[in-house]
Amino acid sequence: MIAEQELRDLWIGGRALLLSLAFSLLLSVLAYLVATNTALNYLEQRESVNLTLQVAIAIGALLALLVGADTISGERERGTLETLLLTPVPRTGITTGKLLGALSLWIAAFVISIPYVWFLGRGIGIVGVSLAAGLLVGTLLAVFLASLGVLVSALSASNRVSLSVSLFLLLALYAPTQFPTRAQQGWAGELLLRINPIAAGEHYVGKLVIDAHSWSRDASWLVSPIIAAAAFAVAAVVAARWVRLRGAASG
Amino acid sequence: MTKAVEAEGLRKQYGELVAVEELTLSLDAGEILGVLGPNGAGKTTAIRVLTTILGPDRGTFSVAGVPHTRPAEIRRRIGVLPESAGYPDRQTGDEYLRFHARLYGHSRASAREVASALLDEVRLAERGRSLVGGYSRGMRQRLGIARALVNEPQVIFLDEPTLGLDPAGQREVLLLVRRMARERGATVLLSTHLLDEVEEVCTRVLILNRGRIAGEGTVAEVARRAAAPRSAILRVTPERASEAARVLAAAPGIEHVESTNGLPGSLTATLVRSDGNEALRALAEAGVPVLAFELEGARLSDAFLAMTEPD
Repeated sequence: MIAEQELRDLWIGGRALLLSLAFSLLLSVLAYLVATNTALNYLEQRESVNLTLQVAIAIGALLALLVGADTISGERERGTLETLLLTPVPRTGITTGKLLGALSLWIAAFVISIPYVWFLGRGIGIVGVSLAAGLLVGTLLAVFLASLGVLVSALSASNRVSLSVSLFLLLALYAPTQFPTRAQQGWAGELLLRINPIAAGEHYVGKLVIDAHSWSRDASWLVSPIIAAAAFAVAAVVAARWVRLRGAASG
Repeated sequence: MTKAVEAEGLRKQYGELVAVEELTLSLDAGEILGVLGPNGAGKTTAIRVLTTILGPDRGTFSVAGVPHTRPAEIRRRIGVLPESAGYPDRQTGDEYLRFHARLYGHSRASAREVASALLDEVRLAERGRSLVGGYSRGMRQRLGIARALVNEPQVIFLDEPTLGLDPAGQREVLLLVRRMARERGATVLLSTHLLDEVEEVCTRVLILNRGRIAGEGTVAEVARRAAAPRSAILRVTPERASEAARVLAAAPGIEHVESTNGLPGSLTATLVRSDGNEALRALAEAGVPVLAFELEGARLSDAFLAMTEPD
């Protein structure tokens, strides 16, 4: 019931539709540039698909994070949390429902990206593997980030704090992907990439799409995304037991 | 017979601040208990503890016969209108009630019926399909009360349901409270600042001050126990009125004496911690015959002020 209501609020309420529309506009511009603009389409076809997929995963997971970060603290700020806590629905049921609602943003983002990936990757036989890799890695990262958002939201005193902390953590997680190539090499650089779920997930997608590696060859890069998704999903659900009317920061 | 609410020695503390201390109360089915107290007296905390939103630091309680160790079961049997409850602006009143009915296990069809009946009961049937964002504060409070009733609760907790309402809105909510108790046989625990309405609606009152119970009982009992009569109206023969006024002014326990609305021979004596006997004794000793004597009784507001005044 909570998930159903969350989906109704997000999609019929219009917030998710607006975010999805903005996402599809961004993806359209990106696809147009890499596919048609002769001054800018310096990328090889596989790299174009990979870039589009990486953007789709990043933004889809970002949307899931933003919605997750608004769940509990948003209810608290709107004064509707107490009413929800007074129902016989277990608190774990409340966070699980809200988590599923947040994940719907990633599912929508992935569905929107399908025609773009197909258009850019047609003719070289990578559409299927690209979409499958995107779905796998994107779902793991979306579960991880949405859970992170719900967790931060449950513990934050206000919605503003929840959104700020979540975005800061996301930027910190993306930072290693922007390091110079030299910093990403060597055992320390590789370790840094491997333990960062976002960097590791993107690396794995790149290996499948650009380098046409097999699924199993670089599977070890999926360890941190899998662990992060599972650990944070469990933490978000378990943290529900400590959901209070006021966040931790306000006592 | 199982008590609707029973609490023994409840205590709740936030850091150094003790919000509720030694709260002990017992409520029978069908009673309407008015919980009064100044801001910060612990009314909301007491309600949050009894509704299982906050756990007590000490003490035990049961609601509808269910011990506090089974909070989910208590929540199934109570209806609550929290203080400053928020509402989803983008839902209609009907959708809001149907959602909550579903959370209590109603099927879609049953939730629709429950929502429709409750909207009717709180006189929102015509606005049921309008967005809650367009509701007035009074309508939102009535919707909140309807939501508190979706599970046919045995005990209803209403925390300041009339806060921010105009007199007509306050009246409407209080009539609704009385009707709920009468027609549904539900026990109501009502926290409010409206003393006059408490006198009218509640079968019993509980006054909280700094987290502790300052008074409890029926309105008459609390008023009698906590505050002495405020004034005595005496009638003497008009020609002896000025002498009587002099005698009374000098008597102990009398603060002020004045003519009652200019009526000849009628005097009003303002009493200070006196039951009026001193006035009668002084007049008898002075040999002034008293033709009539009437005490103006203490009201709940006097008791409230007496019990909650700062040290």
